[in-house]
Parts: sequence; C-alpha cells; structure tokens
Amino acid sequence: MAKYIFWRILQMIPILLGITLIVFLLVRVSGDPVLLMLGEEATAEQIEALTKSLGLDRPLYVQYLSYLGDVLQGDLGMSLRYVNQPALEIVMERLPATLTLASTALLIAILISIPAGIIASVNRHGLPDYLASFLSVFGQAIPNFWLGIMLILIFGVTLQWLPVSGWDNPWSVLLPAFTLGASLSAVLTRILRSSLLDVMGQDFIRTAHAKGVSPVHVIFGHALRNAALPYITLIGLEASSLMAGAVVVEQVFAWPGIGLLAVQAIGSRDMAVVQTIVLFAAVIVMSINLIVDVLYSFIDPRIQHG
Amino acid sequence: MFKRMKTGASALALLIGISGAAFAQDREIVVAQGIDMPGFDIHDHRNTAVEAVMINMFDYLVMRDEKGVLQPALATDWEVISDQAIRFNLRKGVLFHDGTEMTAEDVSFSLDRVTKDPSVQLNLFYKAISDVEIVDEYTVIVRTHKPDAILLNRISNVGSGIVPKHYVEKVGWEGFATAPIGTGPFKFVEWRRDDRVIMDVFPEHWRGRAHWDRLVHRTIPESSTRVGELMSGGVDIALPVPEQELARINATDGVETKPSPTSRVMNLFLNTKEGSPLHDPKVREAVDLAIDEQGLIDLVMGGMGVPTRASIVPGITDVPMELFGTYLYDPERAVELLKEAGYGPGELTIPLAGPKGRYPRDAELLEVISVMLNQVGIKTELSILEWSAFQSRYWGIQNIDGMVLIGNASPLGDGYQQTYRFVCGALWSEMTGWCDERFSELVLAASTSTDRVERPKQLGEAYHILTEGRPILPLFQLENIVGMSSAIDWTPDANESLWMYRAHPKGN
Repeated sequence: MAKYIFWRILQMIPILLGITLIVFLLVRVSGDPVLLMLGEEATAEQIEALTKSLGLDRPLYVQYLSYLGDVLQGDLGMSLRYVNQPALEIVMERLPATLTLASTALLIAILISIPAGIIASVNRHGLPDYLASFLSVFGQAIPNFWLGIMLILIFGVTLQWLPVSGWDNPWSVLLPAFTLGASLSAVLTRILRSSLLDVMGQDFIRTAHAKGVSPVHVIFGHALRNAALPYITLIGLEASSLMAGAVVVEQVFAWPGIGLLAVQAIGSRDMAVVQTIVLFAAVIVMSINLIVDVLYSFIDPRIQHG
Repeated sequence: MFKRMKTGASALALLIGISGAAFAQDREIVVAQGIDMPGFDIHDHRNTAVEAVMINMFDYLVMRDEKGVLQPALATDWEVISDQAIRFNLRKGVLFHDGTEMTAEDVSFSLDRVTKDPSVQLNLFYKAISDVEIVDEYTVIVRTHKPDAILLNRISNVGSGIVPKHYVEKVGWEGFATAPIGTGPFKFVEWRRDDRVIMDVFPEHWRGRAHWDRLVHRTIPESSTRVGELMSGGVDIALPVPEQELARINATDGVETKPSPTSRVMNLFLNTKEGSPLHDPKVREAVDLAIDEQGLIDLVMGGMGVPTRASIVPGITDVPMELFGTYLYDPERAVELLKEAGYGPGELTIPLAGPKGRYPRDAELLEVISVMLNQVGIKTELSILEWSAFQSRYWGIQNIDGMVLIGNASPLGDGYQQTYRFVCGALWSEMTGWCDERFSELVLAASTSTDRVERPKQLGEAYHILTEGRPILPLFQLENIVGMSSAIDWTPDANESLWMYRAHPKGN
C-alpha cells in the first residue's frame, strides 16, 4: 500500500507541471494586467514602465522558467490586485472559508441523500420514491446561482432567518452550503437508490430475510455497507465539482473563500494569485482522489492496490 | 444596523429562547460596495471606490465639503506666497490614531514619497510638487516645479493623506498597507480580504466624535446580493445599485435610493484622421445630432445621468457650465449633413467599439447608440469587448478605429484635466488625429496660470473649440444609484466619497 501511495504521489509531479504551463499561458493570453491596472488615463510610457517592472516584457518561456524556479523555492509571486502582498499568503488565508463551505455542503448532501436514497429504494415505485426522484432531478437541474439567489430572497430577505451573505457568524455558512450541496445531494440520492436496489436483489439479502433478520438490520447492517462503494466513489469524483461550484456560490454569497478570490483575481488578471489557486485546487483534487482510492481497500478488502 | 441583529442571531435566539434585546450593541454602520481594497497604501492605488473608504481613516490638509468646495482641514489656513508656493498653517493638537501629535515633519514625510517616487500609482497627480519645506512645527511651504493653478486640488485627495512618520519608518509602507494609521474620524481595526474592513470610532478626532461607534465596509461583488443585504437590514448603505433593482428597493419600506453623481462623463472618441469618414466635420456633426443623449439616459440608464456637451460636471473649477445640462439632437439635420458630405442612407459604415462591464450598462449604451446612428442612415460595425480585451485592441494601444466609448473621470476636479491631452501632440490629440493651435495655446496658458479671472476664460474658450471640433462627443454625466436605509441621514456627494463622519441616524 505504501508503495502504491508513493507512486501515486510521484505521478502528480508531471500533472502539476502540465497544469502550471497551461494556466501560465491562459492567464497571459487572456489580457494584459498592465492595461487593467492603469485604466483610462494610461500613457504609452507608463504602460511600458509598468510592463518592464513586472517583468512582462521578457519572452514567455523566460517568464515561465523563472516562475517555475521561484515556485520550487516556495515563492509563488506577488499579487497585483492586492498591492505588494504575497500570493501564497492571500490564498492560504482563504482556505479555511472554502474548506468550511465545502465540508458543510458535503455533510448536508450526505444527511439528505442517505435517508432519501434508503426511503426511495425501500418504497420502490411508491410515492416516496417518485418524490425523491423528482427532487433529485430538480436538484441537479437548477443552476446553483439561481438557487442561491432564491434562498437569499426567501430566508435572508423575506423571512430574515439567516444572514444573506459574508462570513460573520456560524449561521452564515448554511445558505451557501445548502446551495452548494443541493445538486450533490441529488446525485448521491440517485446513486444510493440504484445501488441499494441492486444489492437488495442479491442472494445474501434474501438469505438474511429468510433467517428472520429485521428489515432495519438488513438495510443498515448488510445492504448499505455493500451499496457504499459507488456512493463513496461518487463523493470522490464530485469533490472537484464542489470546488468548481464554490466559485459560483462564493461569488453569490460574498463568501470570502478561494472561489471568490479566483473570480476576482481572474477579473483583474492577478496572475500570481490565479496560478497559485489553480495549483492548490489541483493538489486538493488529486489528494481527494488518492484518499478515495485508498479508502476502497478498507471498505472492500477484495480491492488490492499494488 | 438595527435590523441586522435579527438576521444572524434570530435562529439562535429562537432556539435558546432569549430575546433580541440581549444582543443590543454599539451603534454600527455598514456600507457595501462591489470591490475590495487593494491594501491601505494611500499612494499606490487608482480607484475612486478605494479612496471612498480610505477617507474615513485619513485627513488631508484641505478637504472638499459636500458641494465639492475646498475647505480647511489639517491646514487651518494658507497663503499663496508666489505662483509656485503656498504656505500652510497646520492645525494644532491633531492626534494620530496611536495618540501622537501630527506636526510639519509628518506632512513633509507624507508628501515626499508620492511626489518623488514614480513607481507609486498616484505619483502622476503629485509629481508637479517639487518640495515641502518645514518652516516650524506647525508651518510648511509646498512648492511646485512650475506655476500650478491646481495645487489645492491636488492635495485634497487621499494621495496626500497625512500619515505618521515615526510609524511608517517603523513598519515600512508594506506594513502600513495592512495596518494603517491616520488622523481620520475612524481608526483601522481589521481587514478581511474580499469580506470586510472594520473601523472603530476615533473619539479624539479633531472635528469631534463621529455618530457611529463602528464603521464596517463590506465587499459584496454580486449586485443582487448587495441589494438583498440592504433589504434585510444587513447593510445600511449599498452601492452601486443596478438600475433594474430600483423598483424593488423603492417598493420596500425602510429602504430608499438616492442618485450619486460622479465626476465621470461617458464620451465617444472619434477618429478624425485623414482616410476616416469622420475626418469630415459634417459627418462628426451628423453623428452628434443623431444621438439623443436624454433618450440614452431615459432608455438605458433608468433616468440617471445629465446630458452634457463637454466632459465636465458641477464642482469642477474653471469650466464653461453653459455646456453642461444641454445636448444637440436633430436627426433630420443629421441626414442633410450626411447628404452634403456625400453619403446617402446606408452608404456610410463606421466602426463603433466599447467595453462591456467597465461602466454601468455600457454594452446596452453601445447597442442603442448604434440604433440611433442607424436611424439617420449610418451603419455601424459594433465591437463590444470585455474591458481588458477592449484595452488591448483599442484604447490601451491608442487605436481608435472609427468611434470608441470611454468614460473619463476628473479626480482633481479641475477643467485642465480633460483638455490637456487634446493639446497638439498630446495623447488624445494623437489618438483622434485632432489638433487645434488656438486650443493648444489656451490650454497651455491655463496650465501655468494662477489668475483666477483669466483662467476660466482661457479654459472656457478651449472647451468651446473642443466642442465645435468634435474629436470627442461627450454624452452624459454618469450617476450611480445608492441604496440606503431610511433610518440614516446621509446624501451622496459630488466627490463619490463614503465619508461616514457626515452620516448620522435620523432624529439625532
């Protein structure tokens, strides 16, 4: 197992290199930060002077190699939007907000999907099943920015039960986390329902019923454990979509996490910050995938990595 | 901020069964904008919305009142001792937020960097200043390289905010950028990037204590969320409010909207170079007559804005105000002029470019202008680009291919600012291909004139020449909309400042 994990970590290096190159190029072809910074009143001399002082007048490959060299030494560059402040520090201070949001969203998705999936599969073709199916299709179909704005209108503006935006107190996370978790809970409900139905038709479940095991124990003791594999796989796969969804949700709720930072940094062509965010996101997603793969062998010992 | 306590704490209060009264707290005012601070280095930023927040923590020697008139602040009075020098007498007993007293040393130190270091963004406005002489502890003389009529305008901006020398020397400008100290009515407490800046009242402020114990500036990029916060009582003042939200706010009890005039005028810059159809003055006049400025304001801007024939707004010194509040619109005459210039209906095509998302409703403005031009028989090739792409293709590389839409602000509040770049050989003259000897002579004379009688005449005539020459077609003064709680007494001023010292709870 240790050898497997080591190899997986080694494989991350060329992927990360590729990612740095792509992001580096994308940020540079999409617009000139100098023109953005100087605004309407810029003169040609000012543009030239700032371009030079930021090192943007050098050939692209020189800029990229010097960036890579700096990254290896732990220097991810200075932010352009936040004058003279290090990109790494700016990104790091946002991690807690995004992790809080994403983990609450995941928790909400799990808390909704497990009972919903069980009820739907137990009552196959019954009203609860149709209701759960309808809600999960609905949850997947609505765009999260729209859901976010609706939740703000209902719970923030009209009922005034929850804070509208920002991260002021522990209640602030509920609306954005529900918005972010809604579509995930829909996907998870559907997968749990179908894999439970699969398992419920198998011989060992019939045997359990024949032995007189209580239906509750059959579901929680036998069926759920066997249906968990695709469910956990999906959580791993959807981790990256949680990160992507956070970009939109954080913008809507002014949630001061990495997603909001990414949007603002891209808008102002804050190159060092954009590059740092993408590097972080890549490492996080790859780590989650690795953890899920390792978890497999614990849940199902038949799966061996070697 | 009164309703605010309901939001966060209501669920908790319900759960544990205690009353909202237990959450009573100090008087807090919350202001929300769409952008965050770049930091608090007062010399290294270029954004009115940033200065609007900083002004709460810093004072200048001279500051504008709500009408835009310059008033004594950290300087109690001043004397023009030559056309290149002004002596300022400083207010005694002014304290910085750390309790030390402000002296001439601090004034000299504060102005030294912004006037001499070209790497800071505001140096552009201050490099005209040559030196600041300390006469005694409470007197300084500010000198300029050349005679400068707008020295007072220059030093009434945040770039000339007075900072404590001893503190900046200790923490450096980088340290200052995240933990600033000034003499303003509010002192810095905390900055959470992309979330909020928290300031507490500075009770020893020389003007007296502000009405608020705490001032919070929040960053809420999404306008519908900003409005949602306003309507739920989470913020007291929200800006800008998009025009489509006006009705929703005005239909709600407890909140209202107010116009917030800006110094920005939306303009079309025209390529008058040879080879361009706009080289012919008749075609330029036809374009001017084809555009219904009031129509643009009503149709696109929700009635917010004032038409103008010059890039000027009230409060700017030495400008011909008869050109403000008026516009030309005569589509029949436009058709005739085009005919005289040799163009029948549909025979003339002019490129029209502009940014999207830079100014309120910019893309919609371009579309409606295009339709208006179409109605007199001018076809347009419309390019609407995201700001950075627009900069790279047109404005930033000084390439006007036909007409471009740009909004120009006048942060120094003087008429020279929108004219000097049209002097022959200067940037905008080169970009548009327009050069007028008499105009250049007048503007150059005004640039060094300190004669309060002659200067308005010089700039007035220059503006009239520019208006007739039409390398630039000013459309209207941009007005933002501010949404605010009806419980607060505050009126947005001509400086676009969010100086909350002036705001107070109604009835107090």
